[in-house]
Amino acid sequence: MNPESECPQLDRATVARLHELDPDGRHGVVRRVLTAFEASLQRMLVQLTAEQHSGRAEVVSSLAHTLKSSSASVGALALAKACAAVEQRLRHATAADLDAQVLLLIRECQFGLRAVRAMLQA
Amino acid sequence: MSLPTAFEDASFATAPEVLLVDDDEVNLMLTALALRERGFLIVEASSGEKALELLRNHAPDIVVLDALMPGLDGFDTCRALRLMPGLDTVPVLMLTGLDDDASITRAYRAGATDFFVKAAQWSLLAGRLQYLLRASRTLIELERSKSKLARAQDLARMGSFDWRRSERGGVGCLVLSPEALRVLNLGLQDRADLRTLLRMVPPDDRRVLLRQLQAVGQHSSVLTVDIPMVLLDGRQRMLHLEAEPEFNEKGQGAGYTGILQDVTDRRAAEDKILELANFDALTGLPNRRQLIWRAERALEQARRLSHQFAVLLIDLDRFKVINDTLGHAAGDEVLVEVGRRLRGCVRHSDQVMEGTLEVTGARSHRALEAIGRLGGDEFLALLPEVADDEDAERVAFRVLEALRQPIFVSGQECFVTASVGLALYPRDGHSVVDLLRNSDVAMYSVKAQGKNASAIYSPQLAGQGREKLEMETALHKAIERNELVLHYQPKVDVRAARMVGAEALMRWQRGGRLVPPGEFIPLAEDTGLIVPLSEWALREAAKQARVWQDAFGFDDSIAVNLPSRLFERSDLVEHIHQCVTAVNVPHRMIQLEITEDNLMQELQNVIPSLHRLNEIGVEISIDDFGTGYSSLAYLTTLPISELKIDRSFVRDLGVTPQSSAVVTAIIALARSLGLRVIAEGVETLRQMDVLHRLGCGVMQGFLFSRAVPSEDLQRWLEQTVLPRKAPWIGVALDGPQGSGGPLVMGRKLRR
Repeated sequence: MNPESECPQLDRATVARLHELDPDGRHGVVRRVLTAFEASLQRMLVQLTAEQHSGRAEVVSSLAHTLKSSSASVGALALAKACAAVEQRLRHATAADLDAQVLLLIRECQFGLRAVRAMLQA
Repeated sequence: MSLPTAFEDASFATAPEVLLVDDDEVNLMLTALALRERGFLIVEASSGEKALELLRNHAPDIVVLDALMPGLDGFDTCRALRLMPGLDTVPVLMLTGLDDDASITRAYRAGATDFFVKAAQWSLLAGRLQYLLRASRTLIELERSKSKLARAQDLARMGSFDWRRSERGGVGCLVLSPEALRVLNLGLQDRADLRTLLRMVPPDDRRVLLRQLQAVGQHSSVLTVDIPMVLLDGRQRMLHLEAEPEFNEKGQGAGYTGILQDVTDRRAAEDKILELANFDALTGLPNRRQLIWRAERALEQARRLSHQFAVLLIDLDRFKVINDTLGHAAGDEVLVEVGRRLRGCVRHSDQVMEGTLEVTGARSHRALEAIGRLGGDEFLALLPEVADDEDAERVAFRVLEALRQPIFVSGQECFVTASVGLALYPRDGHSVVDLLRNSDVAMYSVKAQGKNASAIYSPQLAGQGREKLEMETALHKAIERNELVLHYQPKVDVRAARMVGAEALMRWQRGGRLVPPGEFIPLAEDTGLIVPLSEWALREAAKQARVWQDAFGFDDSIAVNLPSRLFERSDLVEHIHQCVTAVNVPHRMIQLEITEDNLMQELQNVIPSLHRLNEIGVEISIDDFGTGYSSLAYLTTLPISELKIDRSFVRDLGVTPQSSAVVTAIIALARSLGLRVIAEGVETLRQMDVLHRLGCGVMQGFLFSRAVPSEDLQRWLEQTVLPRKAPWIGVALDGPQGSGGPLVMGRKLRR
C-alpha cells in the first residue's frame, strides 16, 4: 500500500459498529467519536514529535498503549497494530531503536489522521 | 435496533451506576455510549485521580478501571479505593490488554474483582458487568444474612461448631464460630479445642458426657445433650448441644456439625416453674400437688414391697389467733419457722419431683420422705416406710416436741402447738385419698380432746366424727327447741355464810341426756353458734335475776360466761341493755366472766367493750385467773372488778406449797389493785379453811353446791343455808362472826 497515492481508510466493519451505537444518527455519535479521535491524534502527534530523540521509552510506550485501543475502536487498524507492536517491543527490549519506533508511530498517526478526516468530510 | 437492557430484572429497581475510568477520550466516550445504550448509568472519569475524587462523595454500583493510565494507574486507583469507606466490597472490573497476563495478576492483587480484555465488543463488557453486579448483590445479601444469623445467634446465645474426625484417632478437629466462642466466653485467639472444652465440664458430668459422646459417635447418631459447664471466668452455664453427623463419600461418619446454645436462663426458668408447681412458695416445702404425687409413689412402693407407710397430718392449733392478732405477715413468719422445724423431724428430701424418682434400689422410696405444706396451717409428713405404729408415733412426738420452744415473731414470743393425726397404709386406707381423710379424722379427734397431741386413726374416731356432725346439727336447733337450760352455782361469802351471787352455766338437755358444756361449747365456738347461745344465756340470766329478786329479794349479780368474740361485737352493750330492761332489773345484776386466756389474746379488740360495759354498771370478772399470761401492766388499767382463782390452784391447796404461794400472790395482787377475789372449785373444808386464812373469803364449789337448776338453788338457800345446816357453816370461821347476822340472804326471803 502506498500511503502517498491512496487515501487510507477506516475499517468498515468497525465503523459500522460505531453506527450501531446511534442507529438513526440522532446523537451524531460517529461524528463525535471521530472528532474526538482526530483531536486525540493531533495531540499525540505533538507529543510524539516532542519525544523524538528524548530516549523516554516508557512515555512512548504509554502513548502507544493509549492510541492502541482508541484507534482500534474507530477502525484505524493499521495504526492500532503499529501501536501494539511498538508497545510490545518497548516492553521487553531496550530502547535502542526508540527513535525509529517513534517515527513509525508518527507516520501511522498521520495516515490515521488523513483517514479520519476523509471520513469526517464524507 | 434496540439493545437488550440487562438490568430489567427485579434485583435492580434503578439502573446500576458505573464509574468508568479511562485516560483515552475516545475509549471513554465509546464505552460510555455503549453501556448507556444497554441501560447503565455512566459516570466518566479521565484519570485515576479524578475517579478517587468522585468516589469520595459517591459510591457507584461498580467501577470499571483502565489498567494502564498515565499518573495514577488502574492498579493504584483500585488499591486506593479499596481503602475508602464503604468501597471494600464494591465490584471493580479492570480493563487490560489482550496480551497482558502480568496486568491480570496485578489486577487481582490490587483488589480488582475481575478483569476484562479491552475490545469493541460492548455486549460482552455489558454481560460481564451484569454478572459482576449480580455476584456483588448476592455477596452483599450473603454477608447481610450472615450478620443477621450471627446477630440472631448472639441474641439466642447460640453458635455453630463443626467437628471433624481425626484420621489418626485422637480428639479430632473442632472449629467454633465466633458466636460459639462468645457463648463460651472465649476470644478468637483462645484455644478452643475439644480437650479444652471438656475440661470446662465438671468431672462427674464429664464422665457421663464422654460416655454419651462415645455412644453417639459409634452409631453416628444425632447428638442432643445438655452440658453443665464452668466457663473460664468461673460462671456456671448450662449449654445445649445439638449436632448431626456428616458422612464422607464412603458413607463413613466424618464428623458432626451443629449448634451449641447457652440455655442457663431457660433451664433456670424451667426449674423455677417446676419448683413453683411442686413447692410451696412461702415455706419452700413440697406443696399439696408434690405431696400427693410422692404419696402415690410411696403407696405403689409399699404395695409392691409389702411394707407399711404413714401419713401424719399436722394442723397448727389456734393458728387463726396468731394471724388475727399479730397480722398475716407474722402468721407467715410462724409458718416458715414451723416448716423449718418440722423439716428436721424427718429425713426430708427436696430432690424428688415429678418423674425423677429412679426406681433403682429397694430403698429408693426413702427419697420420698418429706414434710410438706398442704395449705394454710396444715402440714403433712410422709413416711414412706414404717415398721409399726410406734415408728410413726415417734415422728409425731418429734413434731410436737419441735414446736415446744416458743417462736419469736414481731418481737413477741408465740407458743404454737399442733394436733397430729396419723394414718398407716394398708391398715387405715388403701388409697392416698383414704389415708389423707383418715389422718384428718384422727387429727380432729386430737383437736376435740384438747389439741397439742397426736392420735392414730381408728374406725371409732370416724364414728365420733359422725356423732360430732349430728351434734352440730342438733345444737343448731337446741335453742328453738328449748333444750338449753342455765344451771346456777352460788358464790358464797363463807365468813358471813351468805350467797353473794351465782354463776350461770349452760346445760343442754338432749334427748333425756344432759350434755356437759365441755362437749358442746367447743363445738359451738367452732361453728359460731356460741354467739346466739351466749345471747340466749344473757337473756335467761336477766330473767332469772328478776325471778329471784321477786322470790327472795335477790340483789346480787348473776355471772354469765362469754367468749371474747362476743366482746368484739359492737352490739353486746345494747343487747345486755335490752335483756335487763326487758325484765326491769338494774344492769349491775348481770356480771360477765371472760377467761384470762381469752381476754389476753383478744385484748385490743375487747377493751372498748369492757369500758362501755363498765360504764353501764356491768362488772367484769376474770375467770381461770393464774393459768394464762396476763400482762400485769394491763391489769392495772383494765375496767375489771374481780379475779377468779383457777380451780387448779385450789385443788392443790394444802398439797403443794406452790399452790398456796400462787393463791397468796393473786390475793395480794387483787387487793392492791382494789379487785375482789373469788376462789372456784372449792371441794373440801380444808381448802376453804386455807383460802380463808390466806384472805379469800368468797368461794364457789361443790363444798357449797354444784351448779343446779334455779328452783334447786332457791331450795338450797331455804333448806341448807338459812337453817345453817351445811357442814361448812361455822367450821372454818375462827374469827369474829359478821355483825350483820350470819344468815342474811335478803329482806324479802320467804320461808
